[in-house]
Amino acid sequence: MKGYRKYFGKKLLWFVITLVVAVILNFVLPRLMPADPVSAITGKMAQGMTDASAVQEIYKRYEAEFGTNKPIVEQFFIFVGNLFKGDLGTSFSQYPRKVSDIISSAIGWTICLQLPAIIVGWLLGNLLGALAAYIRKGFDKVLMPVSLFLSNVPAFGMAVILLVLFGVTWKIAPIAGGYAYDMIPNFSWPFIKSVISHYQLPFFSIVLISIGGQAVGMRSMSIYELNADYVKYARFLGIKDRKIVGYVFRNAMLPQVTGLALSIGTMIGGALVAEIIFSYPGLGSTMYAAVTAADYPLISATTLIITIMVLLVTFLLDIIYGFIDPRVKAAQFDV
Amino acid sequence: MGKPILEVRNLKTKYVTRFHEDVYAVDGVSFTIEEGKSLGIAGESGCGKSTLALSMMGYYFPPLHYISGEIIIDGKNISGMDPDTVRKTILGTEIAYIPQAAMNALNPTQKIIKFVIDVIRAHDPKADKKEIRARAEARFAELGLPRDVLDKHAVELSGGMKQRTVIAVSTILSPKVLIADEPSSALDVTSQKMVIKMMRELMEKGYIKSMLFITHELPLLYNVTDDIMVMYAGQIVEKGTAHEMVFDPVHPYSHGLMGSILVPEEGTRGTKLTAIPGTPPNLKKPPHGCRFAERCKYAKPECRYSNIPERPFEDGRMYRCLMGVDELKEEYSHE
Amino acid sequence: MKNTIRQVFHSSKFVTGFVILVIILLTMFIYPLINPGNPLEMIGVGTFAKPGTYVSLYDASRTGKETLRLSDADEKRLNRLLSDADRVSMVEWFSAMGIDISGLDISDTDALLDLWKANYTPDSKPAGMTMAKRNYYKRLDKAIKEIGASDTLIITEKHAETGELEEIGSITKTDYVNVGQVANVKSLPLGTDNFGRDVLKELVSATGTSIVIGLIAGTVATLIGLALGLLSGYVGGLVDDLIMFVTNIFTVIPGFVLLILISYSIGQDQRGAAVVAIVIGFTSWTWTARSVRSQVISLRNRDHVNLSKLSGHSLIRIVLTDILPYIASYVVMAFILQVSSGILAEAQLSLLGLGPKTTTTPTLGLMMNWAMLYSAHTNGSWWAYFPVILTITCISFSLNLMNTGLDQVFNPTLRD
Repeated sequence: MKGYRKYFGKKLLWFVITLVVAVILNFVLPRLMPADPVSAITGKMAQGMTDASAVQEIYKRYEAEFGTNKPIVEQFFIFVGNLFKGDLGTSFSQYPRKVSDIISSAIGWTICLQLPAIIVGWLLGNLLGALAAYIRKGFDKVLMPVSLFLSNVPAFGMAVILLVLFGVTWKIAPIAGGYAYDMIPNFSWPFIKSVISHYQLPFFSIVLISIGGQAVGMRSMSIYELNADYVKYARFLGIKDRKIVGYVFRNAMLPQVTGLALSIGTMIGGALVAEIIFSYPGLGSTMYAAVTAADYPLISATTLIITIMVLLVTFLLDIIYGFIDPRVKAAQFDV
Repeated sequence: MGKPILEVRNLKTKYVTRFHEDVYAVDGVSFTIEEGKSLGIAGESGCGKSTLALSMMGYYFPPLHYISGEIIIDGKNISGMDPDTVRKTILGTEIAYIPQAAMNALNPTQKIIKFVIDVIRAHDPKADKKEIRARAEARFAELGLPRDVLDKHAVELSGGMKQRTVIAVSTILSPKVLIADEPSSALDVTSQKMVIKMMRELMEKGYIKSMLFITHELPLLYNVTDDIMVMYAGQIVEKGTAHEMVFDPVHPYSHGLMGSILVPEEGTRGTKLTAIPGTPPNLKKPPHGCRFAERCKYAKPECRYSNIPERPFEDGRMYRCLMGVDELKEEYSHE
Repeated sequence: MKNTIRQVFHSSKFVTGFVILVIILLTMFIYPLINPGNPLEMIGVGTFAKPGTYVSLYDASRTGKETLRLSDADEKRLNRLLSDADRVSMVEWFSAMGIDISGLDISDTDALLDLWKANYTPDSKPAGMTMAKRNYYKRLDKAIKEIGASDTLIITEKHAETGELEEIGSITKTDYVNVGQVANVKSLPLGTDNFGRDVLKELVSATGTSIVIGLIAGTVATLIGLALGLLSGYVGGLVDDLIMFVTNIFTVIPGFVLLILISYSIGQDQRGAAVVAIVIGFTSWTWTARSVRSQVISLRNRDHVNLSKLSGHSLIRIVLTDILPYIASYVVMAFILQVSSGILAEAQLSLLGLGPKTTTTPTLGLMMNWAMLYSAHTNGSWWAYFPVILTITCISFSLNLMNTGLDQVFNPTLRD
């Protein structure tokens, strides 16, 4: 247990450090750029205005809003202070809504869509990969190229194809939104039904995308494990093949947890774009709307929230992994 | 003469490689081990000694394939049995195996006790867990292994401890024959001694009835086993007691092999160290006639095409060469 | 070296990937020679013209005619005239009038027309049918009758001075022109996009740009990763700790998010294809750095490296002659993956509206973005987006196959 506490402590420290760096980057990156965000925004807001003093007025207002008239260190502490209060500023495009309001109404949709989809895709992919490694021969010959091809279809491509086939051509599922546009969110049965029917296509497009990559990874991992010495040894002690395959799957699957933790950052990018294709009311669509409307505070907040979510998931996966794989525990004893 | 425990008659097995080329790694091997005796097999790496160990288990999986010959354990011929019967009734109970790489022989994510349970249940599906634990604890204590090893994962054990655990688990069902493939090669000297001591104990306490010890370290064999066989290119080239084989080898290959080592005994101090020039033949296409002829100083033209039989001499010794014993000894005396 | 290359080309996976890539690259170079011109030229005035061959009506009517009597010509005309919606409407009329339509197959044009001619009367007023609907049936009936009746179209031209129409020619149903003799025939195998551009031409040009973006991004990422990995692995100590600290941070912070932040901050005007590519490269070097580092650490204490150190060779020379050749295969593999993920990253950025500046060159991501903006996916214009998805998939598939093939050659445990 001592080893585990050390592991946990290390991971927690790491989580805090990356979080701090992420916040700093989120603050610094836009300010490092040659174009001053305030003047860029003012330029957009003041389009068509001829009165110089009015433009100046707008500039002043946003300068105060951003606090860019203060020294950069002070700006940073104001930024962090506001962050702790949950204040992410005011949206430009949906003025006077608070950014935190917009984000909190979107974040649930994203979590409920992406988390189950990624987990299901991960499980199915691992299962297929393990089967391919174990059965080999024909199954492997067909499945692997297909998985490899599928894993190379970009997430938005899969989303569009599913949308066109099931939504437009066969009209099995609705193609846009998180629920029917004429409904008001509530806990009634018709509303839940509508949510589920809108859920299918985005869900399956993310699942299909994650299956391919996971299956390919799991297959090579399983082949590697099947050739391990313990497999041979267990066989020569008379243990049944089926039981040994159980050992192999477990051992191959555990590192896949870390694999998931490491790839989640990449996967989320594709999954967010899939949301845009389906106009799903999550963070991806929020980000898209923010980019199109040049809503600077909203973009900044969305990217920050997505980063925090990814860091949190990575952290949790690391912790779970430490619990379930004794190899990690042993490695801690060595340190 | 004691009661024969293991008899191998003209055993032939092959590896089928990826490109369907056959490698005849064990090509007509015959020998007998009597109750209470231990036999050592020596040879350069790649001579087929590890394959012989695997082939004797009567349990084949790709790429190793059985061709012909008989394996008789305590009067029971296992070479014609169906694999599942072999697995259930022979492996672990009649014949057990200690693999070359004990470091990786245990499943890293499994507790030792779980593995012991799997091993025992593979032969007796209804065995009670508590009884198994009691039995394992007793046996581990008997062999001087700490009890808490059972509740650890393989990754948490040191190299020497892993090797001893593997030996204890392999012999938990008190098999009649124990095959140890280089059990001590990767260990430091202290651990090596512990392992050898443990194997002796197993014999003395009657947990195993006979032992086959495979190694490339000849001095070790001299200290551990009663008899020694020398293997070359898939065949036995000479067989005799440990003392005879070290101090009075007959076959030019064994002579060379013994000459290439240092035996820590009085009287061998002045002996010149010689290495055998050349490399062993390719077993995909074994040469006609004597397989050692290519590297043999004394080879004559007929050696390359005549069939070389096993030639018994003295009391229970055997060698495989066209030249007579005296003729060879005469040659050696000139060196 | 020669042997390694031979081995690589024995891997069926590598060869398959390589062939797909070569086909794509050849198309990229050869197609512009066959069909030169600006890929962004808007040739169509409307949006999303269907794939096919377009024949100038004006030129066709002025091209020499041949008379062909084809027995199924009338039938084909009828089939084309009666859309599916028309057929359904006809059936609706029958049932509104209470006419027995059992056994009627609406794709059987002759039977449908026979029934229509036998039963339709413009004066009848089925119950509950609106005036507009009745007029629709009258128009339909007229069109059907015209096919049977008139057989000559007169071409007239307005006289420049008098403004009178003068007959200059006529077209009968049996007149045909040879497509080869029509002055203007335009083949659009993938139709046009929302701006009326030739999709195929645009696609070929976009593929080229996207591959260049991938190559730039891959080169930048590989160079950064290689430099950091070598430094960290070979020098070790504090340098290693520092570099790995930074690398680990950038491994967990999603590169996509950084990409969005940077791209947005740069602003639309500065965002050329090359800039986007460099930014992508700057956010995706961590994997290369990690794998190079671990390779270098395992090489660092090999005999040949120690020998070089003892011989007093400079750091640069040791790295170039004793380390790089040994990790070259890993670096090449990492580079291939970077190229493929760079192409994908550009596409995703463009879909978010943060892609390269749109006016000069198309990229695969921009084409996708335009198709989505103009709802090609919901209005059935598959040619505007599907070839783009397929191209991205094929490039990425071929690169990944090549990578897997290389992996099998260089990591024998995965072989077979």
